[in-house]
Amino acid sequence: MTRRTFFVFGATAAASCRRTRRPRLNVFNWSEYIARETIPRFERETGAEVHYATYESNEELLAKVFTGNSGWDVAFPSNYFVEPMRANRLLAPLDRSRLPNLANLEERFQSPSWDRNLDHCVPYMWSGTGIVYNKRLNPAPGSWADLWHPRLRGRMTMLDDPADAFGAALKKLGLPLNTADPGHLDRARRELLAQKEYVRAYLNAEARDQLVAGDLLASQLWATTSAQAMEAAPHLGFVYPAEGFALYADNAVILRESRRPELAHEFINFLLRAEVAARIVTESRTATANKAARALLPAALRDNPVLYPSPEVLARGEWFAMLPAPAQRLRDRYWTEIKSA
Amino acid sequence: MNRLRFLFLLPARVFTAVLFLVPLAIIALYSLFTRGTYGGQSPPLTLDNYARLADPLYLSILARSFWLAGLSTLLCLLLGFPLAMFIARSGRRRHLYLQLVMLPFWTSFLVRTYAWMFLLRDTGLVNTALQALGLIREPLPMLYNDGAVVLGLVYGYLPFMVLPLYSTLERLDPSLLEAAADLGATPIVALARITIPMSSSGILAGCVLVFIPCLGAYLTPDLMGGGKSIMIGNLVQQQFTTARDWPFGAALSLALTALVMVLLWYTMRRAGDHIA
Amino acid sequence: MNRLLGLYAAAAYLFLHLPLLVLAVFSLNASRFSAWEGFSLVWYRRLLDEPRLIEAAVNSLIIAVAATAAATAIGTLCAYGMWRRKAKLLEGALLLSLVTPEIVTGVSLLAFFQWLFRHLDVRLGMHTVILAHIAFSIAYVVIVVQARLRTFDHTLEEAAMDLGATEWQAFSRITLPLLAPGVIAAALLAFAISFDDYVITSLVAGVDSETLPMVIYGMARKGVNPTVNAVSSIIVVGLGLLILLAESLQTGHEATEAKKAGGRAR
Repeated sequence: MTRRTFFVFGATAAASCRRTRRPRLNVFNWSEYIARETIPRFERETGAEVHYATYESNEELLAKVFTGNSGWDVAFPSNYFVEPMRANRLLAPLDRSRLPNLANLEERFQSPSWDRNLDHCVPYMWSGTGIVYNKRLNPAPGSWADLWHPRLRGRMTMLDDPADAFGAALKKLGLPLNTADPGHLDRARRELLAQKEYVRAYLNAEARDQLVAGDLLASQLWATTSAQAMEAAPHLGFVYPAEGFALYADNAVILRESRRPELAHEFINFLLRAEVAARIVTESRTATANKAARALLPAALRDNPVLYPSPEVLARGEWFAMLPAPAQRLRDRYWTEIKSA
Repeated sequence: MNRLRFLFLLPARVFTAVLFLVPLAIIALYSLFTRGTYGGQSPPLTLDNYARLADPLYLSILARSFWLAGLSTLLCLLLGFPLAMFIARSGRRRHLYLQLVMLPFWTSFLVRTYAWMFLLRDTGLVNTALQALGLIREPLPMLYNDGAVVLGLVYGYLPFMVLPLYSTLERLDPSLLEAAADLGATPIVALARITIPMSSSGILAGCVLVFIPCLGAYLTPDLMGGGKSIMIGNLVQQQFTTARDWPFGAALSLALTALVMVLLWYTMRRAGDHIA
Repeated sequence: MNRLLGLYAAAAYLFLHLPLLVLAVFSLNASRFSAWEGFSLVWYRRLLDEPRLIEAAVNSLIIAVAATAAATAIGTLCAYGMWRRKAKLLEGALLLSLVTPEIVTGVSLLAFFQWLFRHLDVRLGMHTVILAHIAFSIAYVVIVVQARLRTFDHTLEEAAMDLGATEWQAFSRITLPLLAPGVIAAALLAFAISFDDYVITSLVAGVDSETLPMVIYGMARKGVNPTVNAVSSIIVVGLGLLILLAESLQTGHEATEAKKAGGRAR
């Protein structure tokens, strides 16, 4: 028994010491945000070995990297997480001299509100939250208020995210998206509680398959996921609600704990290349922040109103921002109340 | 004699102390801290987190967890008892039948939960079959509610109920039942007056073995509940991820563990040492 | 009554096995959806195209084997040590580790590792997962081996020692071989638990230690997916065969023992 133990331990130890000469980069990204050939291409060009894994939420990312010894080098938090991560000393400052391809970004992403000089992050993809619906619905939904309708009972989902769900309720009430006013949050809470009887479930990407299959009539969903669903099912439509909607952008950051900042910079610069970014979004069907890449896209993708809404529509959008701690705690508590009602 | 025994116990002691008790102690410590601005935890020490437990919102989640776990346990008992009886009475083949019950349990819990999601969707097999048979016209929403969670829990933990029930039923002396029959008792009466009372230790063991994991369940309400059926396990997980409130999550964890310990202690007092 | 019971049992077995059977059957369905479109191995072939899935499977195997070996060794020794000498504190701690909800064990281990790693320059990885798995498996091993020990006759050991054997020899030459079926059963239990664990593993896994349940959970969260069906079927069949093999070894062993005993009695 003891001999067996030693043998197995030895084998395990040997297996875990995967010593390679090649420099290694650990990249942590959202799922479905990269093309199949992107990583192998980078590996071929630089001779590095990239370990790529995915997460499904900003909170999951933050939980993993919070104590500064997770092992990840590059991550992609959403815009409203950049400042908190920076404040917690989790991000390494970027060296712009290593990122010549920054010029490829759209103007508005060259100095976004969450990081005016792009000191710590590089916008990667962006999207908004809206309503995807089955065209069978007549009249088609056009505002958040339409999701509070009995005709959708049991055939509608909302996002499983307090920021998005409260965002919809707040916009329905005509209130600011990022309000920290307890009175506003309370009113939004009551709206969401009233809506719950129509909600089938609080789902994120899981709603996509059900929309395609026709099980759902409408969902609050991100534009990118909706675009993917619409590709698979022509009976689906999408609308950016009239009262206003949330915008978010996912940004590449280098974690302060990273031991390979030069390689990390190279990777980010690589992702900023026009044809690399174009390949990625052609496969992922998401909206790139890269102007040069967008120019290379086929017209159907480049001018897709779901992924790249017109300036008039875009004007109704508000970027998500992190709430101050007391407001966030209040919202979390309300969210628990709504989900357990 | 004693030295060898001591050495044998040492690795287990070290592992349990370092990798179980110490982490629990750390969590206990965290439960007294205050939440940092964006998460994490720091002094000052406070009992606030425990005070928050008395909030009716959280108590209602606890009550719901008890309700769902209790319902699942009861269903497991009702479904598992006849099955255990069958296996105990099947003579030579009983080992095979027992294996057939345990076999799904050995395979992945996650996979089994996913299998039910696959079956119960609107376009899943159950709805398709019901519609093909003409029993329903529109698909039934079978997922994303308390019922689905109970189904998932019962399916997952039924073997835990069957095993102890079978153990006690197997040891039941058949001559008792013969005597009862000779004295004119119908099978139902024999069941009520003899079989069930004599298997009470197995019933108790089974109920405990099912109720406790159900109370702390996380995966089943997460996957089958669609975010609408929050149990304590989900609440704890939320505090450590979305809410980033580690101290409160730690307080919840300790409260849940303490609750489970009390239940267990109480059951063991009543049953002596029959649980194992 | 017995016939009723038999019918009921059939229905119960159907309930227990149907979901897995359906999963396996539909993994062979050419269509993505519930409509049957003919036999096809396309989803299985797709599995080979997913390096992430394969890497996760390999990780799961490595972790399960390592954790099982260690937990079985530690647990067996522990059960034996507790057999004749009471160790109330250890028993209590092991029982506690059994009833503590997985989510609580998971977050406490995460907190522990993160606190530890603030002072040592190590990070979360395969080793943390393996350690975590060993920690929660020990109690299961102890229970199974203890159950076996209860049917054991301690006078055999005493007889051996009267004849001049040391304690260790008595244990390793007499008790251990007789305990073997119980130890194997415990090892299999530990393996199954470790391979299947999601909650604790997802919390303490690091950069290069993604396991199969983690990947499956991620895919299941996105909705039903035939590739998940394929992977699940493989897992079910694989683990199922393993269990059946173990059971047959055990009953085979017991049958041989019974035959020998029967022979001797004559």
